[in-house]
Amino acid sequence: MPDPDQTDTMARRDRRRATFLALTLALQTVACVFFIADAARDFPKIGTDLHTTFEALVAVALIVGTGFGALEMRRTLSRVQQAEEALSLASGAFDKVVRRRFAEWGLTPSEAEVALFALKGLEVAEIARLRGTAPGTVRAQLTQVYTKSGSANRAQFISLFIEELMAHSGLAPAA
Amino acid sequence: MTPPTGNAGRRGWDPLVRLTHWGIALAVLLNGLLLEEGKTFHVWVGYAAFGLLLLRLLWGLVGTGNARFSSFPPSLSAARAHLRDLLEWRHRDYPSHTPLGAWMAYTLWALLLVVALTGVAMENDPFPQNGGEEPAGWASYFSEHDEEEEDEHGEGRNGEHDDEEGLLGEVHETAANLILILAALHVAGVGVESRLSGVNLVRRMLPGTNRDA
Repeated sequence: MPDPDQTDTMARRDRRRATFLALTLALQTVACVFFIADAARDFPKIGTDLHTTFEALVAVALIVGTGFGALEMRRTLSRVQQAEEALSLASGAFDKVVRRRFAEWGLTPSEAEVALFALKGLEVAEIARLRGTAPGTVRAQLTQVYTKSGSANRAQFISLFIEELMAHSGLAPAA
Repeated sequence: MTPPTGNAGRRGWDPLVRLTHWGIALAVLLNGLLLEEGKTFHVWVGYAAFGLLLLRLLWGLVGTGNARFSSFPPSLSAARAHLRDLLEWRHRDYPSHTPLGAWMAYTLWALLLVVALTGVAMENDPFPQNGGEEPAGWASYFSEHDEEEEDEHGEGRNGEHDDEEGLLGEVHETAANLILILAALHVAGVGVESRLSGVNLVRRMLPGTNRDA
């Protein structure tokens, strides 16, 4: 599994790079058009001499440079896309892990919803308000969730998922 | 849990699309409404816009994701279906341009090419000077440059030259006016699609925003 934090930083750097490349490319093509239009006027007047040959070479160099810039831009953007896909895959994978655990513990749909809210750090009162039930009901459902998942309290319950994440990231307490 | 953001449409347009879009939009407004034709600045802005247009068209061929022509092929049947959706106020997600939006983009590009090419045909010097003299400060760039300078190379066909310019000018102006009308329609279309989808589509074109709010 890719490291989400590092992937995100790289994607952000690549996005800045893409903006810079876009600016450079725009400048290059505009310069290209001006230069070629100007040089094209010299040919019928002067014909092929050192001056016009040099201008033609510069024109070719400008076009080739623009082409390479476009290719580099394309590479950068596909890297951003890959990084973003990896990220959404990672968050999607975590979502899947959570749902699988809930199913394994045999949570009812309302218990699963309460558990999800608890996992996101919501207070009992908030969960009750969101679900339109009494705080007592939420507390009872949470107790069921803890019992079924084999944890004593919310901290232990959450740590079940933290463990899952750390196992994948290769981050150990010793490191 | 937040849904995965894999859809290319949610990420917005890439920086090159945004840059060329606003650059050309600015040029159209400047040359269409503010700077009078024949003036040096009009010619400069036109050449710059031509460059940006060529870059965007190149990017349609070699670019990535939703910027590629292949991600929004012109299709009459898709456009008809999209029109039906609009009339029934129904929204559908498209990864790139909507089918009607694609037709708008291709039409605008074709008209921009016509305007650029007729413009270049009428003024093939990107740095027109006032009668060959050194320009007298920046103000002179806003004044009409001397057309007679052109004619020192085209003596003897003056009448023909004027006729040609007349027709080119006519095409240039008609296409430019069409662009202004279509641009207004384009803005209206974006407004309608934004209302329909509940997503501010302008954000996908603005600088610095990479995700829908």
